[in-house]
This record gives sequence, C-alpha cells and structure tokens, in this order.
Amino acid sequence: MALLEKLLRAKAVAWTLLVLPGLWPLWPIFVTHNPSVLADPLKFVLHHLGFVACVLLATVLAFTPLRVLFPKWGVALALNRHRRLVGVSAFAYAGLHFTTHLLYEGGADLSALPKILQTAVEKPFQLVGLVTLTILLVLALTSLHVFVRWLGAKRWKNLHRLAYVAAALAAYHQAAARKVFPPQVLWIFVPLALLELLRIAKPFLPASSPPPKPTPLRPS
Amino acid sequence: MLIRSPKDWELPDSAATAEKFYRLSRRRDFLKTLGVAGAALATRSLFAATAGFPTKVNAAYRDPALKPTPYDAVTSYNNFYEFGTDKSDPKPNAAVWKTDPWTVEIAGLCGAPQKIDVNDLVAKMGGVEQRVYRHRCVEAWSMVIPWDGFPLAKLVALAQPKAEAKYLKMTTVLDPKNIAGQREGTLEWPYVEGLRLDEATNELAFIATGIYGRPIPNQNGAPLRLVTPWKYGFKGVKSIVKFELVAKQPRNTWNVMAPDEYGFYANVNPKVDHPRWSQASERVIGGDGGVFGSRQRTLMFNGYEKQVAALYTGLNLEKNY
Repeated sequence: MALLEKLLRAKAVAWTLLVLPGLWPLWPIFVTHNPSVLADPLKFVLHHLGFVACVLLATVLAFTPLRVLFPKWGVALALNRHRRLVGVSAFAYAGLHFTTHLLYEGGADLSALPKILQTAVEKPFQLVGLVTLTILLVLALTSLHVFVRWLGAKRWKNLHRLAYVAAALAAYHQAAARKVFPPQVLWIFVPLALLELLRIAKPFLPASSPPPKPTPLRPS
Repeated sequence: MLIRSPKDWELPDSAATAEKFYRLSRRRDFLKTLGVAGAALATRSLFAATAGFPTKVNAAYRDPALKPTPYDAVTSYNNFYEFGTDKSDPKPNAAVWKTDPWTVEIAGLCGAPQKIDVNDLVAKMGGVEQRVYRHRCVEAWSMVIPWDGFPLAKLVALAQPKAEAKYLKMTTVLDPKNIAGQREGTLEWPYVEGLRLDEATNELAFIATGIYGRPIPNQNGAPLRLVTPWKYGFKGVKSIVKFELVAKQPRNTWNVMAPDEYGFYANVNPKVDHPRWSQASERVIGGDGGVFGSRQRTLMFNGYEKQVAALYTGLNLEKNY
C-alpha cells in the first residue's frame, strides 16, 4: 500500500495516467487496424474522448468523499494532491471531445461551423453537452490561484460546487449519446453517487467518529 | 467531335467486383486444402441461404457513380442489437450462430400461407440478382452496398395477399438460447418491422440473401433480410422467419422503444431531424478522407425520389417520420 501511495503521489505518474487514455485510439486505428473502428475512426475518437472526460469528472469528484470517509487512508490523501490536475484534465478531454465533434460534423469546412453550432444549441442533448463544457471551462479557468484570492474562499467554493451540476449533466449527455441506454453511464456515475451519499450520511451513522474537520480549501 | 454515350449496361471497370471479394474466403480455402469437405459442403455448413449464387448483376440497379463501401467495413460495422449494442459486437458474437437449416413462414391474410426452406424460397423467386444500393442509417452514416437477393414484390405475389391485407409485417427469429442479446431487455424481442403493401411491392424493396456476391454473413442478417434503400437502416429487419400479411399497421420495434424518435415510415429525409441530431448530412463509412473521414449531404428519400416519392403524395412527412 505504501508503494501505491508513493506512486500516486508522484506528479509524473498522475500525468501519465491522465495522458495515456487520450492516446488509446491510436492502438485500434494504427496498430490493430480494427475494421469496425476504421469504418469511421473519428466517431470512435469522438466517443472515446467524451467517455474519458466523464470518467475523469467522476474520478475527481470522488476524491473529496474518499478523504472524508477514509481520513487515514494514504491512497485517498495521495489522490487529493492531484485534484486540480485531474479536474483540469476532465475539462481538457471535454474540450477535445467538442473539437472532435466540430471536425466530425464539418471536417475542414469552416463555413459549416455556424450550422453545427446552431444544431448544438437547438438539440437538448447537444446543448446539455455544451453547458457541461462551459461549466468545466469556468472551473478550469478559476482553478488558478489568482482567482481563488480574487473571489474569496467562500465564493470560490460555492462556484466550484457547479462541478456536481456538470457531473449530472454529463451523465445525461452520455446516456443520450446512444440509441439505447449505455450501461457504462451507471458504472461511472453510480459509485460517485454512492460515495456522495455516504459522505453526507457519515455524521449521522452510529459507528461514525466525530464529524470531520472542515475540509481545507486547497489540497496541500 | 464524336461523343459516345455509354449504354446503361456498359459498366466501367471500377464497377466490377474485385477479385478479393469473389475469391473463396480463407477459411473455406483452408477447409478445402485439408480435404475435410468440398467447397460446396463447406459453404453449406457455414451459410443457410446458398441457393442462387453466383449472382447475376442487375445493371438497372447499378449506378456507376456509387462506389461500394469496402466489404470489411460492411461486415464489421453493424447494428444488430440481438448480438450486442456496439457496432463491433455482431461480427464476433454472431460468428458461430447456426442459421442452417432455416424455414420461412408466410402467413396472415393471404391465399397461399406456407412454411418453406429458405433455399427453396430463393429457387421459387427465380434465383438471386445483385443490386447496388445506398444505405443510410438513422444515426447519420451511410454506406453503398452490393446486395444479392430478390425483389420483395415476388414474395408478396407468392403469398397471394387477400384484399383486406394492407401491410406486410416481418419478424426476426426469436432464439434467446443462441442469441445472447435477446436474453437482455435492450429492445422488445423479437424485432418487428412493417411496410405498407404498396411500399413492399415497390420495385426497390428487396430481400437480401447475400452481399458482394456471397451469402450474407450472420452479422448482416443471415440468411435473409429486408433492404429498403429509401428508408433508414433500422427498417431493414434481419434474419427474418416470418412474413405476415395484416390489415392494420404493425408497431415496429424502434417505434415501440422511442415513438417520438422513430416512426413507422422512417423515410430518409434531410429536412426532418432526429430529436437529438441533424439528418441534413451523413458520414460516409469507409470514405476516402482517412482518419478524418468524409461527410456528404443526405438526399431526399436517400436519392430514390424518382422511384418512391409517388408513394407518399399527400402524406405529411414531418408528422409521419
């Protein structure tokens, strides 16, 4: 466990774990030449980037409840060191996902852009994705220290609670992306919901130790 | 200057089926080499509907401007939820599925109800011909597929529909023991589709028993499936066991699943959007654009306006999507 903790604390490990999923599509496209992927490679990339964004958003939101529920668990503490990095990567993947959507719909044809954006606003499913991306953009920008100081701790914290709204919207967007309900939405977001419920319930649970100290604003 | 206009039966070299597509598959070559079975026997054990091949090309349905989608893409990128919801699922999941022997039932309001082996049916239909059709999925992607089969009108004629028959209902096999997807509640099983009788007897409506001049692979709906090129792909009910003539419009599976998104008609229409995405354009599967792929404008009735528009005069296509 100590080794895992040490590894997870390392910035290089965190970066590797965040970048590798983005490179994954290269494998079926250029190495195994999967004919199903090659039929429309960009669609595979599009869905994959959205999927990674959802996983990272759920992951970063799980960090705090993990620490609250298991305050002495080294792994939870190690993970919490990377909260900002993981959160910003969720935004980065969502941004790449949207860029891929633009490429997928319009190719290199810039004149198609207004129509694509108009459709994105008109279709609730697409609009929800766009709103999620906007929230993540605001959160990523304000994750800079200067904004924490400028907004003040309380307001900053309230603003960043929008991440929960983003997660709910992302879950809807992912569920609506396929013709039938894709089960991966459940295994990405249900564990997160359970962790959040446990975190809320913790002070009321009989076996629980004294209520946790207020969480520090920024992980050290 | 002398300009020679080609006759419509004159096909360019590009329209010819490439050798790799009509050559025996490696697996069957291998079986032959082993001497386990003759080619005919091996074919018989792999596919149910083997009657009628080699196919005759019907030049009237072979627009030289259409470039067929590579065989690999046509047989690896499939929506066949009975074998999994991902488009890469049906090929591996249906690989060992046995579709031989296969009996087709013709039933309902008709003068000649019958149960018939699929190969006997093909023989009665006068063998198979090849037509190259555009294929447009409701998910906004498209292919061009050389289908082998027979006109659905011939099957309807065989059934001898009674005067009160107005629709043709078609049903996929129900076999949850061997079809894993049917053990899950993804859709209502068995898959059902329907056509108005005048749609079913339109010259374009086709029953495919093959693609690219070979018996149709399981993942594409072996041994026989519907092809209605002016409609979205989900109308093309696969692995059909029953053709039933009925008086009332049958509820088709996707319409049951999401009535506000999928209608009965499902005619390709660039002006009527899906609630979640635009239908104005489509991705070209296996297109020339490499990794970035290519996109083209979607045509009214998928480019078959001339043949089918008359079927829908006076029908509000926005309401009857």
